[in-house]
Amino acid sequence: MPENGFNPKIVGFLCNWCAYSGADLAGVSRIQSSPTLRPIRVMCSGRIDPGFVFTALKSGADGVLLAGCHPGDCHYSEGNYLCLRRTLMMKKLLGGFGIDEERLRLEWISASEGDKYSKVSWEMENRIRELGPLELKQ
Amino acid sequence: MSDEGKPKVGFYVCHCGTNIAGTVNVDEVSDYVSGLPGVSVSRNYQFMCSEPGQDLIEQDIREQGLDRVVVAACSPMMHELTFRGAVGRTGLNPYLFQMVNVREHCAWIHSDPAAATGKAIALCNAAIERVVHQEPLFASEAPIYPDTMVIGAGIAGIQAALDLAQGGNQVYLVERDSTIGGNMARFDKTFPTLDCSSCILTPKMVSVAQTENVQILSMSDIEEVSGYAGNFRVRVRKRARYVTDACTSCQDCIAVCPVTVPSIFDMGMASRTAIHKTFPQAIPNSYLIEKDERPPCWSACPIGQEAAGYVALIGDGRFAEAAQLIRKSNPLPVVCGRVCYHPCEEQCNRGFVEEPIAIQHLKRFALDWEAQHNGEVKVPEPPVRHSEKVAIVGSGPAGLACAHNLAQRGYQSTVYEREEVLGGMLALGIPAYRLPREQLQQDIDFIRRMGVEFQTGVAFGRDVTLEQLRETGYGAIFVATGAHRGIAMHVPGEDLDGVVDAVQFLHNKALGESQPVGRKVAVIGGGNCGIDVARTILREGAEEVTVVYRRTRVEMPCEEHEAIDAETEGIRFLFLRAPVEVLGKDGKVTGLRVIEMELGEPDDTGRRRPIPIEGSEHDLGFDMVVASIGQRADLDYLEDDPGAGEMQLSPWGTLDVDAETFATNLPGVFAGGDAVSGPATVVAAMGAGKRAAEAIDKYLRGQPLEGFETHQVPAEIPRVEGRPHRYSKPYEEIERVPRTQMPKLEAETRIGGWDEVELGFTEEQAVAEAQRCLHCGVCVDCYQCVDACKPGAVDHSMKDEVDHLDVGQIMVSTGYKQFDPSVIPQYGYGRLENVITGLEFERMLSSTGPTDGKVLIDGEAPRSVAILHCVGSRDENYNRYCSRVCCMYALKFAHLVRERTEAEVYQFYIDMRAFGKGYEEFYTRIMDEGTTMVRGKVAEVIEAPEGSPGKLLVKAEDTLLGVRREVPVDLVILCPAMVPSDGSEELRQLLHLSQSADGFLLERHPKLDPIGTASDGIYIAGCAQGPKDIPDTVAQASAAASKMLGWMARGEMTIDPIKAEVQEELCGGCRVCNALCPYNAISWVEDKKVARVEEALCKGCGICVAACPASAIVGAGFTDQQIYAEIGGLLAV
Ligand code: FES
Repeated sequence: MPENGFNPKIVGFLCNWCAYSGADLAGVSRIQSSPTLRPIRVMCSGRIDPGFVFTALKSGADGVLLAGCHPGDCHYSEGNYLCLRRTLMMKKLLGGFGIDEERLRLEWISASEGDKYSKVSWEMENRIRELGPLELKQ
Repeated sequence: MSDEGKPKVGFYVCHCGTNIAGTVNVDEVSDYVSGLPGVSVSRNYQFMCSEPGQDLIEQDIREQGLDRVVVAACSPMMHELTFRGAVGRTGLNPYLFQMVNVREHCAWIHSDPAAATGKAIALCNAAIERVVHQEPLFASEAPIYPDTMVIGAGIAGIQAALDLAQGGNQVYLVERDSTIGGNMARFDKTFPTLDCSSCILTPKMVSVAQTENVQILSMSDIEEVSGYAGNFRVRVRKRARYVTDACTSCQDCIAVCPVTVPSIFDMGMASRTAIHKTFPQAIPNSYLIEKDERPPCWSACPIGQEAAGYVALIGDGRFAEAAQLIRKSNPLPVVCGRVCYHPCEEQCNRGFVEEPIAIQHLKRFALDWEAQHNGEVKVPEPPVRHSEKVAIVGSGPAGLACAHNLAQRGYQSTVYEREEVLGGMLALGIPAYRLPREQLQQDIDFIRRMGVEFQTGVAFGRDVTLEQLRETGYGAIFVATGAHRGIAMHVPGEDLDGVVDAVQFLHNKALGESQPVGRKVAVIGGGNCGIDVARTILREGAEEVTVVYRRTRVEMPCEEHEAIDAETEGIRFLFLRAPVEVLGKDGKVTGLRVIEMELGEPDDTGRRRPIPIEGSEHDLGFDMVVASIGQRADLDYLEDDPGAGEMQLSPWGTLDVDAETFATNLPGVFAGGDAVSGPATVVAAMGAGKRAAEAIDKYLRGQPLEGFETHQVPAEIPRVEGRPHRYSKPYEEIERVPRTQMPKLEAETRIGGWDEVELGFTEEQAVAEAQRCLHCGVCVDCYQCVDACKPGAVDHSMKDEVDHLDVGQIMVSTGYKQFDPSVIPQYGYGRLENVITGLEFERMLSSTGPTDGKVLIDGEAPRSVAILHCVGSRDENYNRYCSRVCCMYALKFAHLVRERTEAEVYQFYIDMRAFGKGYEEFYTRIMDEGTTMVRGKVAEVIEAPEGSPGKLLVKAEDTLLGVRREVPVDLVILCPAMVPSDGSEELRQLLHLSQSADGFLLERHPKLDPIGTASDGIYIAGCAQGPKDIPDTVAQASAAASKMLGWMARGEMTIDPIKAEVQEELCGGCRVCNALCPYNAISWVEDKKVARVEEALCKGCGICVAACPASAIVGAGFTDQQIYAEIGGLLAV
C-alpha cells in the first residue's frame, strides 16, 4: 500500500525462457513478491530496445527491471550479452539526464529461480522507495 | 477489424476457482475493462480453460463479431495454446489473442487483494492496448526429419532407442563412454526384486546393438546443435578408438600392454590396461586404447621417439621389445643412446615429482642388451619399393637419418661423404670416450644393410657436382653438409703458433693425424665442443687444461654431466673471463690476456649477458690456446660448383629452405641439418633428415608438399595440469624415488686412454629406473598390441571423426554421477581405508568386479557393516533434494551383506522412504532378516581405538532413543547423492535447456510434462531430469519415445510465426543486424543494398529488431508498436 502516498510503478521486461518462467515459478511456489513490479514478456532480453526503457520512464514508471537468462544460458545464445551491453550504455545516458541509474536494473533470473525473482522485486521496490518518485520535467 | 475500422475486443478474466478470485477482485477487473474503449464484451468466469469457458469466447466472437480477444488467467505457458485454439475455431486468426498472467504473476504472489487487483487491472489494460495492434499471423507447417537422436546410452537411452526404432527410422544413440549401459551396468542386483542387474540390462544392450536402424555412436561428444524443432543438425565428434571392428575381444593385447591405470568402471577398485574393454559385456564389443595428452618426452623429441613406450617395456623386463621399438623411429639408436642431448628428459613429467627419468641411459641399456643377446638385428622390409634413387650429400646425422627413412619408404639412396670416415660430426667431432667408434659403426652398418650405398672421399662441388648427380639419375638430392668450420676469436695474436681451432683439432684427432699438444692449455668456450676438446687434450698428455668461459657455470651451454665429468678428470674452469689477446714470444704462444666480466641483464637467449669490467685485464700463462666459440656451415662447394651455387642462402650464411618442406629454391634439391640450422644437436639434425625424407617421398610421388606426418616439436609441449595423466594422483602425492645414477669409469683410468666413460645400467638398475616412469598419455605408444593382435584390429593412427547428423527430435538421457563424499570430511571418505561408496560396493558385489563378488576388506569378510543414508542429499550444505533410491539400495546392501557374510548390519537413516511398488514390502522383508536400524544422521566416522571390535567407529545420535551411539564396524558404506553427470552442463548449454535449482534439467511442467522441455523437439528422461529409480527411468524413456513417435507419424511440426522481417523500404543498409543474428539468418541483398531475413532460419528472438537503428525490422508478435502500446497501457493505471 502506498507509504507516504508514494506507490511506485516498476516495469519488468522479462525474457520468455528464463526470467518469465522464473516469475511463473515464484507463482507456483507462492513466493510473495512486490506488487509494484509489472511484467512485460519479451522473447529474449536481447529484444529490449532502449526505447522501451526510456518510454517506460517517461510514461510514469519509477524504475525498470530487465531480466534475462544467466550468461551462457540465453535461449538464443547471446541475446543476454547484448542486453548487458545496452544496459551499460543506457545507465550512462540516464546518468546524463540526471536520472539515478539505479532506477534501471539488470538481473539474470533462471527458470528455476522463483526465489530470486521475488527477492529482486522487493529489493527494487525498496530502492525505488528510497529514491522517491521519478519526476521528469515535461 | 470491424466495419468501422474500430476493433471490437472481448475480455475474459478467469477465477481459476479461488486461485485467482481468492486474491484478485475479478468483478472489479471486468468492470474496469468493460469501460475501456474498443471493449465490446468483458466477463469473468469460473474456469476459462474449461469447455464452457472456451465456448463463451467462441460464442461471443460469433455473435458479437469480436475481432480481438484478451484472456486474463494463468501463465501463457499453461493455456495460451488452449485459448488460441478457441479463437481459431471461430475462423478468427488465433494471433489476434493476448493472454494476461494474473495467476502466477499476480494472485499467487501477492496477499494484499487491493494491490493484486490494482496490478491485475494494469496488466489487463496493457493487454487491451496491445491487442488492438496485433495482426493476423500464420503458423506454417514444416516437415520434420524422421531420424532421431538419443544422447546418453544408459538404461533410459537404450530403452528410448529401442522404442524409437520401432518407428522404422534411423535412431542415433550417442554415448560419451566407450560402452553403452550407463550406471546400471555397474550394479550387482536391483531392488526390490533382487534380480541381477546385468541379466536384465545386457539383453537390452545386445538388442539395441542388433537393431539395424539404431546406430550406436560411442566415445562421442556433441559439439554443436543448430536448426530448430523437427530440423536439428548436430555435430558429433567420435573420438578415435584405435581399435577397429575387427577386434574379437580375444584379450591378447591385454597381456602385452605395459601400462595399468585405475578402472573408472570399477570405481578405481581395480586396474586395467591402456588397451582395454570397459567390462566383459561392453557394447560396442571391441577394445579401445586410451590416449590422454601425448607423453611430453615424445612431443619434445625431434624424431618423435616413443620414449615412454620403451621405458615402459624396460620396466616390464621386455628389453628386446624395447630395443625393437627404439629402432622403429630412430635411425641412429646406438648413437642416441650415448650422445643425444635428450630434450625428452627436460620435458619429463617426473621432473615435477623429483627428477626426470634417465631416458637416454635406458635407451643405451636396451641397445646394449640387444647387442649382447640378440646377435644381428633383422633389417625391416619396406612395404613397397620405388625405382627412384636419391643422392644424399653428407653422412652426418641428418644425412644418415634421411637415408634410413628413405630406405624405410622403399627408396634406395647413395650417401656421398667428403672424408674417408662416415658419420660427419659423430665421427669427427665427438671423442671416442663418449661414442666408441664401433658403436657408431653398428648404426651405420644397419643403415648399409637397409640398402643404402656409401661413397667416401667424394667432396661435393669438387669431385661431384649437382649437375653430375642429376645426370647420374638421382630423382632428388638432399644436402646435409653440416657445420664443420670453427669461428675465430678475433683477438690479436690469433695467428701465433700454438693457437688451434677446436673443431679442427678434434677432426684431426679422429682421422688419426698427429698433432702436438701443449703442457698448459687454455680452451676458450664452454659448449660441448669445448669440453670435448679439453678432455681430449687431457688424454693426449697435457698437464693442465683450463676451460675459460665468459659467464658462470649455470650459463654454460654444455651438458651439466659433461662439465662434472671433465672436472672429475681434472679439467679446471675459469669463469667470468674473456680473452682479449693471445700473448706470444718468438711466434709461439706464451699466455692469454683476459678481462674479467660481470653478468648483466638477460639477453635474447635468456642467459645473463656478460659485461667486461674495465681495467680488470690480467695475463695468464699458457702454451696452447684452443678456440671453441662456435661453428659455422662450410659452404665452399657453392663456389666450386656453379650448379650448387644457385642455392639461396639465408641472412645467417646457411642454406635457405622452406621451414615446412626443407625444399631449397632448386627443384628436387632439399637440405637440412646444421648446414641449414647452423650448429645444433644430433637429434635435431636427425629430425630434419627424417622430415626431408618425407618431403622427398612426396616430391618423387608427385604429391603436393603438404600434410606432413613426421613429428615436429610443438612450440609448447602439451601436458595435463598437475598430474601426468587423468587417472594419476597429483604430482605432490606421488612417492619420491631418486633417479638411478649412471655408473662411470674411475677418473684415473679414464684419462689414461680412450675407454668409454659411462658404463651403462645393469638390468636391475634399468628396470628400477624405468619403473619410475609415470606413463604419461596412458597409452605410451609401445605398439606391442599391434603385433599381438592377430586380426590386425589395432590402428594407432586412427583419427577422431566428426559427423553432421540431421535429426528431427532429440532425447537427452545423460543420467547421473555419484556425489563425491570426500568433500564431507567427517565421514573420512578418501582418508579412511574402509569407508567406501555405494557404487564401489556395487562393484565389490558384482561377480565381474574386483573381488569377484565377495564382500572383503583387506582380504577378510567384515564382522560388521554400517550403511549411511543421505550422504550429500537432504543436506542444506550440499544438496537439498532427496536422491530417492538410497533407502532402497541401502536395504538391498543389507540383504546382500548378510547373504554373503556373517556381518552385523547397521543402517543410519534420517527417514525411511519406500514409495514405489513393492518397496514397502521389501523394507519389511529386510527388517525381518534382522538389520539394525538407527534413526539419526551420522556425526562422524573415525578410526577405531586400539582394542575395539571394529576398524572404524561410527558416531551418531539415535533420535528415536535420544541417546548417542558409537558403533564399531569394519566397513562403512556411504550412500552418496545423485548429481548430474559430467558434461551434462555443457550439453545443457549447447541445447539451450534450462536447469532446475538442483542442477538437473528442467522439464516443461513438473507434473503435466515431466519429459518435455521448453524447447520443442527436445525431451528429457531418467536421472538427467532428476534422481529416480530404474522403473521410473524406463517409463520416462518410453514416454519420451512415444511422444517423438507421435510427431514422426504426423510428419510435420508447426513453426511459430514469431519471426523478424525487414521492411526493405526502410532499411538503410547499415548491416548492423547481419553480424548480430545468432543464427546467421540475415543475409545481404547486394543489388538492393538491403538486409533480408531468411524465414526458415529465424527463431524470433528479436535481437535484430531491437538493434535496427532505422526500425526497419518488424518482429512479428512482438512489434515495437505492440510493446509500446503495452508499456503505455501498463503505466496508465
Ligand atoms: S532468451 Fe533469455 S535472455 Fe535470451
